[in-house]
Amino acid sequence: MGDDYPTLFRSEQMSLMQFLIPTEVAHDTVAELGELGNVQFKDLNPAVNPFQRSFVGEIRRTEEMARRVRFFESQIQKEKDVVPIRPLYDSASLVTVGPSAAHNIDELDVTLAAHETRLVQMNDSYKTLSERTRELVEARHVLRETAVFFEKAETQQTDIRTSFDDSSAPLLQHDDREQQYLSTVQFDLEFVAGTIDRTRISTFERVLWRVLRGNLYMNHTDITEPFIDPATGAETRKNVFIIFAHGDALLAKIRKVAESMGATLYPIDANADKRSDSLREVTARLEDLETVLYNTGVNRRSELVRIGEHLARWQDVVRKEKAIYETMNLFNYDVRRKTLVAEGWVPTRDLTMIHMALRHATEESGTSVVPILQELRTSKTPPTFTRTNKFTEGFQTIMDAYGIATYQEVNPGLFAIVTFPFLFAVMFGDIGHGLIILFAALYMIFQEKKWARQELDEIVGQFFYGRYIILLMGMFSVYTGLMYNDIFSKSLHIWHSGWDFLEAGSNGVSYALSNGHIYPFGVDPAWHGADNGLVFTNSYKMKMSVVLGVIHMTFALCLQLPNHIKFKRPLDIYANFIPQMIFLQSIFGYLVVCILYKWSIDWSTRDTEPPSLLNMLIAMILSPGKVDATAQLYRGQGFIQVVLLLLAVVCVPWMLCMKPYFQWKEMQKIQGQGYVGLGHRNGGPRESTDEVLEIEEEGNGRVIVEEMEEEHEQHDFSEVVIHQIIHTIEFCLGCISHTASYLRLWALSLAHAQLSEVLWSMTIEKFLGLSGIFGTIALVMVVVFWFSATVFILCIMEGLSAFLHALRLHWVEANSKHYQGEGYSFAPLSFAKLDEKE
Amino acid sequence: MASVLPVIFILAIVLGLMACSRLFVPKGPHQTTIRTAVMLTLASCYLMWMVTYMAQLHPLISKSRNSLLRFY
Repeated sequence: MGDDYPTLFRSEQMSLMQFLIPTEVAHDTVAELGELGNVQFKDLNPAVNPFQRSFVGEIRRTEEMARRVRFFESQIQKEKDVVPIRPLYDSASLVTVGPSAAHNIDELDVTLAAHETRLVQMNDSYKTLSERTRELVEARHVLRETAVFFEKAETQQTDIRTSFDDSSAPLLQHDDREQQYLSTVQFDLEFVAGTIDRTRISTFERVLWRVLRGNLYMNHTDITEPFIDPATGAETRKNVFIIFAHGDALLAKIRKVAESMGATLYPIDANADKRSDSLREVTARLEDLETVLYNTGVNRRSELVRIGEHLARWQDVVRKEKAIYETMNLFNYDVRRKTLVAEGWVPTRDLTMIHMALRHATEESGTSVVPILQELRTSKTPPTFTRTNKFTEGFQTIMDAYGIATYQEVNPGLFAIVTFPFLFAVMFGDIGHGLIILFAALYMIFQEKKWARQELDEIVGQFFYGRYIILLMGMFSVYTGLMYNDIFSKSLHIWHSGWDFLEAGSNGVSYALSNGHIYPFGVDPAWHGADNGLVFTNSYKMKMSVVLGVIHMTFALCLQLPNHIKFKRPLDIYANFIPQMIFLQSIFGYLVVCILYKWSIDWSTRDTEPPSLLNMLIAMILSPGKVDATAQLYRGQGFIQVVLLLLAVVCVPWMLCMKPYFQWKEMQKIQGQGYVGLGHRNGGPRESTDEVLEIEEEGNGRVIVEEMEEEHEQHDFSEVVIHQIIHTIEFCLGCISHTASYLRLWALSLAHAQLSEVLWSMTIEKFLGLSGIFGTIALVMVVVFWFSATVFILCIMEGLSAFLHALRLHWVEANSKHYQGEGYSFAPLSFAKLDEKE
Repeated sequence: MASVLPVIFILAIVLGLMACSRLFVPKGPHQTTIRTAVMLTLASCYLMWMVTYMAQLHPLISKSRNSLLRFY
């Protein structure tokens, strides 16, 4: 495979580049590289506190701007009527690179600050005005209700007056005359009026009664409309109360109790005229306040609308600026030459693009100094970068979830493109269900462009991300459905069946006789509905699972070979790969061959009964060499099985001992040459950490910072031996358990088929025979129910289950045969990806 | 008649198709991906078909009634 094009087979080759960027161009260069999204910068100042870095000031400023933008966003979201935010691709652009960049950013800062102060001011005044409105509304209620009290009391007053007439004393008569003069003063009592929460009114009454020992008269009514708190939107219901008592001490007590219970007191005049005056005044002020409130609301909304026009662009700019300055903080400042030095990983293939980007950046900024690019040689492992497109991205992600591939090892994601949907389909096989998920995937793919722009719900987003996986899953499911001959639990009768039906016997049992014809494509439809159909299907599916499983594992094992060749580990080929392959094939490869052989024989022509393969395998291991003549599969079986078993047994010490032995010999050789192992990898380059020296030797291109945290393999012999023991045991036991694990292919497809059949027979089948209009309506309803159960239970639930199991098969059974997965993923500075991170 | 010949015949066809895909997929950034996908698809579909076909080659008929299909 040529190096002209990137392949998914291995991760890309990366080079460590050193950038020498003059300070004037730094901002624009980083912006350009960020747009490109191809460079992962290393932190060259790991020891520096984040607060001491060079660009802390700029970051603080951008943070402030970001805070303001977030404040605007929250204010817009709180509005009840939606304020439109112009989407990013529609917004006016803001130039952030080039000579005018700094000016634009400053302008932006000022604009944001101005908007913020205005908005905050308007919010505050809105709040104060609402408070005052509320008070005035309460006052108005109080005035109204007390008017009612006084009117009622006035009418009652005359009644009460008459009852005292008998014991008339001069004092009272004197009072009587005074009463007629001052019409509204009753009993010379004074009163306290106000409002209180409805929930508190009974407590209030009781407390007052106790405190004043009953020397009060209290009346209260409900205010019908609730008050809405503008900040929280909570509703409170209040009552108006008026308390009559006499004596200043009592009134003072009443006032104290009222305040402690959270009531608001209002000064009400006893005189009716004065009361109506205050009512008018309050109403007038209320109207004024409402106008002002309305105007403030309108102003605020127009301000928010104006902000909404630019908000998306501001968010974008602020985010990018922050990212740029954070990246620039990673650079090292060379004082003598006034340049910034940066180091970063770049895919080797993209070097020309980087060069062009740098040149473009300098043109934009208007200076003539081009940043210099140098390649560095290093022994550190580069990050793993696999170039994916929208189709392969999903598959790569699900395989990466197990572990990122080591740098340049064979990528299992490439093969998962087909093997994953295929194994899924083996567990899901149904033409109808396959078509349903196929159409769902096609729908998502056709809506791709539109949905990619929207913010999708978490669950829908997951399905959308995997739309190509689902597409392939659907296609393969249709194929396996054709194989299992299962469409919504019915079977298709496309070709001639291989079974002829005999007449039904006396007990209603009918038999079918084979006519020698083989159904060419898939399972014969005659098996469907047969009483012993499951006997055949189970045997068929179990054996198929074992065959597919062993072949999948063999394939995965063979993927070790390119790795060993590429990384120049010939020892591993002889010490790991070959014994593993022999072990796997001598037992399980043999089993597969036996399965296929047993199927290819016409047992009716043989004298012996067809032997059980499982028993045969067990007997092969427990009692090798002894094969019962009546239960043998082929002649000479005993001898061949002994040979195979011996081969497998030989492989175990081979795997255990060969690699440690050779590594021990190598260690002896190196030690013999006088190198002392210091816990570093023998023969590895030791790099100095002298920074000044590094920069002096410009043409040398040494790495500036050596990260000593990198792990070097310990070459203690005991570790090697232990590692190899674990590896051997894991492989040998794994072989058996993984092969059995593949039986889940059978189990899930059986469950799926049975579930589908039960659903049909329990719903539609029961309603098919009904006639008449009632029957038809019932049938339609049942069909709707059946279809929704099919989609939700059989497609979605079973689909997720089969997805999970297929994934597990890839992760555990296949990956354990070849995958190291110790890499770290490539995380370039990319403005496009900033969006996803948020 | 039931024989193993179709299996071998189809195997030959599939191998031929796999070779074709190796030779004729156009060069481009996706060559490896397409090639691998096509070859794996052909291989896995053939495997499944072969297993299904061979499972039904010689159904276990014998004189006893149990091995005939039974329908109630």
